[in-house]
Amino acid sequence: MTGESALTRGPDRLWPLLFASVALHAGVFAAAFLARPPAVVDLDQKPIVAKLVRLGEKRPEQWLPRRDVPPPEAAPRAPDAVPIPVPGPPAPPAQKTVALPAPKVAPKPTPPRPASATTGGKGSDALSRALDKVRKDDKLASKERWGDPSGVSGGDATDASEGDRYLGLVTQALQASYRLPATISEQERAQLKATVVLTVEADGRVSTFRFEKRSGNAAFDQALERAVRESRLPPPPPELRQRYRTVGVGVNFKV
Amino acid sequence: MRKLLVALALLVPALALAQRQYIDVGSPDFRPLALAVTNFPAGPGAQADAIDVQQTFRDDLALTGFFDLLDPRSFLADASEGTSASSIRFTRWTDVGAEGLVKAVVKREGALVTGELHLYDVRAGREVLYRVYKERTARALAHRFADDVLQFYTREPGIFRTRIAAIRKGKGSWDLVLMDVDGKGAEVLRRENTITLLPAWRPDGGEILVTSYRSGKPEIWGFRVPDGTARPVISLGDLASGAVYSPDGRSIAFTASVDGNSDVYVSSADGTGIRRLTSDPATDTSPTWSPDGRRIAFISSRSGNPHVYVMNADGTDQRRLTFKGNYNQTPRWSPRGDQIAFTARDERKVFDVFLVSPETGKIARVTQDQGRTNEEPSWAPNGRLLVLVSDRGGRPQLVVANPAGDRQRVITADAAGVASPTWGPAAP
Repeated sequence: MTGESALTRGPDRLWPLLFASVALHAGVFAAAFLARPPAVVDLDQKPIVAKLVRLGEKRPEQWLPRRDVPPPEAAPRAPDAVPIPVPGPPAPPAQKTVALPAPKVAPKPTPPRPASATTGGKGSDALSRALDKVRKDDKLASKERWGDPSGVSGGDATDASEGDRYLGLVTQALQASYRLPATISEQERAQLKATVVLTVEADGRVSTFRFEKRSGNAAFDQALERAVRESRLPPPPPELRQRYRTVGVGVNFKV
Repeated sequence: MRKLLVALALLVPALALAQRQYIDVGSPDFRPLALAVTNFPAGPGAQADAIDVQQTFRDDLALTGFFDLLDPRSFLADASEGTSASSIRFTRWTDVGAEGLVKAVVKREGALVTGELHLYDVRAGREVLYRVYKERTARALAHRFADDVLQFYTREPGIFRTRIAAIRKGKGSWDLVLMDVDGKGAEVLRRENTITLLPAWRPDGGEILVTSYRSGKPEIWGFRVPDGTARPVISLGDLASGAVYSPDGRSIAFTASVDGNSDVYVSSADGTGIRRLTSDPATDTSPTWSPDGRRIAFISSRSGNPHVYVMNADGTDQRRLTFKGNYNQTPRWSPRGDQIAFTARDERKVFDVFLVSPETGKIARVTQDQGRTNEEPSWAPNGRLLVLVSDRGGRPQLVVANPAGDRQRVITADAAGVASPTWGPAAP
């Protein structure tokens, strides 16, 4: 009788065992459920700041910042800008500001760069060193993109930071579609924060979207949902597929 | 029982896997709100007014950068559609991408222009704002409308009925000019035949302080608004200049040079009770008040190059704020308090407008690659727009820009050029 399985025993022996098993499973699942942080929001949890640093030379620390994207409207003059009237005995021209076509002034030509040293061979070492430095500074100053020697070529951040590569790509994708109505006032902007949880399929599609914590501002919450729907997340690496499909990823949106 | 323990042990790694990772996504791109503005129907004799109101209203809203004004040619709704929410087919407006819809009716009543403004939330399909005004000009009516729409969306007072003051330099003349925020409606408050610089408004809009050479050396004078009457305010040492009223209008901060040392001083509004706040042998200049009046930012060259510094309004706790650039000037503290705009020369030797946070010292750039010189920023009373001087079109002209710099518009086209703008206070 020693090799006999529990299932082949009489029903009187099997039921208590089954009952114990069900109770234990229920207990384990209840424990697993209760063990999760109460409101799922863990405010102390340090979010992973994932940025991909652009590969390149580091911009000198003491230099003023340069914008990666220059202001779009560099147009020299609005077509309807009008001259200011001149005061004096002849009454100033009526304020009727007819949109007179102001003669387009050609943009001032950029003065040529300081002429490089063409000092007929007799230049002293000090002078040529100084000129070399000026040329080097000039060349450096005309650089458009700055990065870090340890960066990656697809990076978009100038400062160094750490982070998981896939989450970095997710951040980048969400960032690209993260747009809010410009009318949200700056006082409100300072308060705006929301946490959403996304689950991601193997092809990068977002299968579920839910708010873990809403901001309380309807315009903002709506915009987040739209931003996520419009984003195109990269497919997770094979070893992490299961995790992103079930556990998902939390996103703290802020302004 | 042992089997169950093994099963339990297998569950533990699965629980560990359940730990979710969080990422931060910030710095959103603020997208303008899509607004449809229909043609404003006009009452008898008000055709020209209706066109003027509509154009000025559209220009005002476009200036803020908060709105994307949809092209009326794309509209699908009947031109005869009424103003009651029940008569509007909102789906025709959502189809063209509108989030907000503005309708207005303009009429003439004798010398006055009257108008009613309707604003609708297109998605919700209901009217959200209704106002009726009587004004003396079509432009004044339009600015009212624009203020209301801006206030509805931003929940802050509008700025379209404010005025900008600036100096226009002629041949041997200096004009203190006042204009609307779109550069139109300009008038000369006062023409001077001695050097006149650096205007600054009193917070109630009743006076503009200037630096004037009327008596041969730089002194502070006040020009009354709107009649231009002049009064001497402060004369000190070899030079007194760059005066600015405190936010409560009770004090004036200014630069004075006594015995060859330039320092920051304060006085009461009538020019009495002068106190010196800085005493460094290097140049200290260009004070600007924080909106609560408790701090003053200024420029000092005590580190070797001019940089932005901050101190308490009594001169204590002076500390350096900017560590980038080597020629930073003309600081102006935002009415919101969170930024100080200033002019700086960058490594390419061009002047641009920047912002620095008085708390963190972090610097952001407003203008870039737009002429050789963008300078002298001044904040709108809501802190959401800046006016500055730019030579991007040749002669220096005024530009209105948002702090992010992605919306900019040249508002003047004066043959002589305009400088030193100062944005006036909000309309009462």
